Amino acid sequence: MATTTATITLSSSDLLTDNLSLSATMNLYKHGTTATGLDELNYHRALIPTGTNFTLIQESAALNTNGSNYVYIINKNTDVTDYVVISIRSEVIGRLYAGDWMFVPYSDATTATTGVDDPSGDDSDIEIQANTHDCIIEYAMFHDGETLLTASDS
Amino acid sequence: MATTTATITLSSSDIADNALSISNTATLYTAGTDTGITETTGLARKKFANASEFILLDQGLAAGVVADVTADKSAKVYIKNMNDRGDGTKYVAVLINSIEIGRLYGGDWMFFPWGAASGKDVDIDASDATETTLEYCVFYE
Repeated sequence: MATTTATITLSSSDLLTDNLSLSATMNLYKHGTTATGLDELNYHRALIPTGTNFTLIQESAALNTNGSNYVYIINKNTDVTDYVVISIRSEVIGRLYAGDWMFVPYSDATTATTGVDDPSGDDSDIEIQANTHDCIIEYAMFHDGETLLTASDS
Repeated sequence: MATTTATITLSSSDIADNALSISNTATLYTAGTDTGITETTGLARKKFANASEFILLDQGLAAGVVADVTADKSAKVYIKNMNDRGDGTKYVAVLINSIEIGRLYGGDWMFFPWGAASGKDVDIDASDATETTLEYCVFYE
């Protein structure tokens, strides 16, 4: 097992009358364990061309079965008007503007119909669409196993 | 305007051959500008003990705490499950318009942009009726 931690710090000296200072740290554990860390990782950097909605993270039966996965995405652009729309199963979560990041658990839990791009029938891909300009993004998924697809020429 | 920042640090010394260390800070701006977000629900704390899906953030509810959060803006949501991890099987699922994003086990947190289009509430669905405490906060324009 591995030990991976995720820490968030939210702070502001002028949003409220008093200082805002919030910090939380979590360990990334496997489902059904008290302290067994996730030990698989994908880490990518990609250029997302503007105007098309792409599958960023492909759902799979293993992700669905394990249920305890975590996804981090950051928009690395610097023009404040540039943004990407993040969706899950075509349900918009929200926009990441330049410099914005998100960190969410990902359970790939919604049941739908099996298809060519939906081998397990879960269809809870995480999708991304760049707007205004192409966007450079970095994203990571910490997980407990993905379903590997058999090569079509094997 | 206000200056509010959100910093994430992801670190591990043994998930890969080399150490993993990711750290980034986002300043929370209004949509498409470099003007800081000026509104927040403040940090809220909620206890519940049921296994039925319920609305945590009710998009469009008149006079609700997030009544001013609307689509095409740049709201951000923070949610933390304050419970202990226990045996690692209990969690709260977080959903957008009843589509599950993922599961927060005891001690887990999440931070995400919220599109908040019409009807796109943020819902909670616990794995069982164990009393659970959540803390949450929304930053919005």
